[in-house]
Amino acid sequence: MIEVSGLSKRYGAVQALNNVSFSVGKGQIVGFLGANGAGKTTTMDIMCGCIGADAGTATIAGYDITEQPLEVKRRLGYLPDVAPLHPEMRIEEFVTYAGRLHKIPGTELQRRVSETLEKLSLGAVRRRLIGNLSKGYRQRVALAQAIVHNPDVLVLDEPTEGLDPNQIVQIRELIRSLAGHHTIILSSHILSEVQNTCDHLIIVHNGTVVQTGSYEDLTRAMKSGRTYRLKVARNGAAAVSDLADLAAAEHPRLVDAAEHELEFSLASGIDEAVLDNVARRMIDGGFGLRELAVKTKSLEEVFFQLTQ
Amino acid sequence: MGAVLTIAWRDIKANFASPKGSAIFFLFLLLMGLFFYNFLNTFVEMTQKAPMYGGEAPTLEQLLKALFYNLHFILILVIPALTMSTFSEERRNQTIRLLQVSPITPTQIVFGKFLAVVGVLALVLVCSAVYPLFIKAYGNPDVAVILTSYAGVFLLMCAQLAFGLWVSSMTTNQFMAFLFTMFGLFLLLVLNWIAPSISSTGGWWAGTLKYLASTDHLDMFLKGVLTVSDTVYFLCFGALFLFFTNVVLDSQRWR
Ligand SMILES: Nc1ncnc2c1ncn2[C@@H]1O[C@H](COP(=O)(O)OP(=O)(O)O)[C@@H](O)[C@H]1O
Ligand SMILES: [Mg+2]
Repeated sequence: MIEVSGLSKRYGAVQALNNVSFSVGKGQIVGFLGANGAGKTTTMDIMCGCIGADAGTATIAGYDITEQPLEVKRRLGYLPDVAPLHPEMRIEEFVTYAGRLHKIPGTELQRRVSETLEKLSLGAVRRRLIGNLSKGYRQRVALAQAIVHNPDVLVLDEPTEGLDPNQIVQIRELIRSLAGHHTIILSSHILSEVQNTCDHLIIVHNGTVVQTGSYEDLTRAMKSGRTYRLKVARNGAAAVSDLADLAAAEHPRLVDAAEHELEFSLASGIDEAVLDNVARRMIDGGFGLRELAVKTKSLEEVFFQLTQ
Repeated sequence: MGAVLTIAWRDIKANFASPKGSAIFFLFLLLMGLFFYNFLNTFVEMTQKAPMYGGEAPTLEQLLKALFYNLHFILILVIPALTMSTFSEERRNQTIRLLQVSPITPTQIVFGKFLAVVGVLALVLVCSAVYPLFIKAYGNPDVAVILTSYAGVFLLMCAQLAFGLWVSSMTTNQFMAFLFTMFGLFLLLVLNWIAPSISSTGGWWAGTLKYLASTDHLDMFLKGVLTVSDTVYFLCFGALFLFFTNVVLDSQRWR
């Protein structure tokens, strides 16, 4: 549904994008991850035909953005970096305006606008001035603008940026409810955000794609083996030296002395049956086993490692 | 056409929703009222004194001409104030994205914006008709001259608005847009004062400069004469700058 190949873009001395390529399948919901300044907004602006690229092409729903921009834009909803809102307009008036710009036929317009407002829980405040809205509401109005014409492809640039935790949950749920009807690509620099929402991730760093795949793929791609967390009832420090004798458990270390919490890794290729030995040692040593769990690397760590 | 009207209508509403828009509206009428009051006073004074000195009394047409001629100066202030925000503001606060991702062409955007500013000023012009109507109520001016004068001022205004849009499309700074538009319009106004002084150095040069000067072309309209060359001047001027604006918008997609 989205096909981006070889995008490059330079702003004066800054190479914002360097040969960015990726594709998004129909109905997928894809996270576009990268730190601030990685090139997310630039990529999305090019995909949506707002700015030009120095090299490369972007194809959406089978149409090239530079060759047939109108065909692309008919099938595209874009929530830009900065919400494009007119403060002096009322919510309903604004969404109707966006619908008109997107050529929704007059007979359907009213219905589409009402549906969209309902979907985004804006029905009760439809007469409010946009200039007086809180950030969360503003973001929803901006989202309404992007989905009012029921586009095949939705491009959302940091949709939860600057919202408080409650609003983030709301917007995230909203986006998830949109999945299935649309192909969605959403960018973020906060990883926990996309970890739950997206089935596929694209990680950009300094204008290049450094990794693509599902969250599990990315985790697996990490070089070190699994890490385990161990909690004992007493004598955490002694338990560490006890574990050090066990060759299979690498780098045992005390992470929280007061709570007697330890961490250790299993070298890749070691069978998990070793965990039985670990548990037995703790019980026999009189440390008292309280917890033994897999500590999966959070995406945060994966990301950090990839963008080093 | 639908998209053009949609954009124009929104812009017009936004203009009157802002204090700036209303201020421009009333500034125009107020300035015109001041001019009118002054000219009328002079007119009355001269009419009274003329018999005493044996001169001829001024005509109502002269009064009207003075009034319309000075609209030029009001426009130099009002046009930049109106056009400075058109593209600059939308680009600065990023609402331009809304237009850029809609299935519409840059040409439709340009015409929409143009229609909006023309609409606002046309409304002002209609309101300003109270002054000529006042003269009509108390005197017997030539209505045809009033109408051609309005036609001339309207054409002049459209041409100047197109120029203002072009300047606005090139900067995200409203104040710069205002200054540059005002400077450009002022230059066009004074071109025919400059032209004679350089006529000794180059014949066709001076002629061309004089042709470019906007005051020259308004003159005939104010005399009640509609000429093709003057009308064509304003239309070409407007079309040229709308075209330039279109080029600027188009190029912003590739940069
Ligand atoms: N209009 C611009 N002029 C100059 N540099 C820009 C412009 N827009 C973006 N950049 C630069 O390009 C890089 C990528 O920016 P951007 O795409 O906005 O990143 P992100 O959205 O991932 O934070 C940054 O280094 C930024 O400073
Ligand atoms: Mg960004």
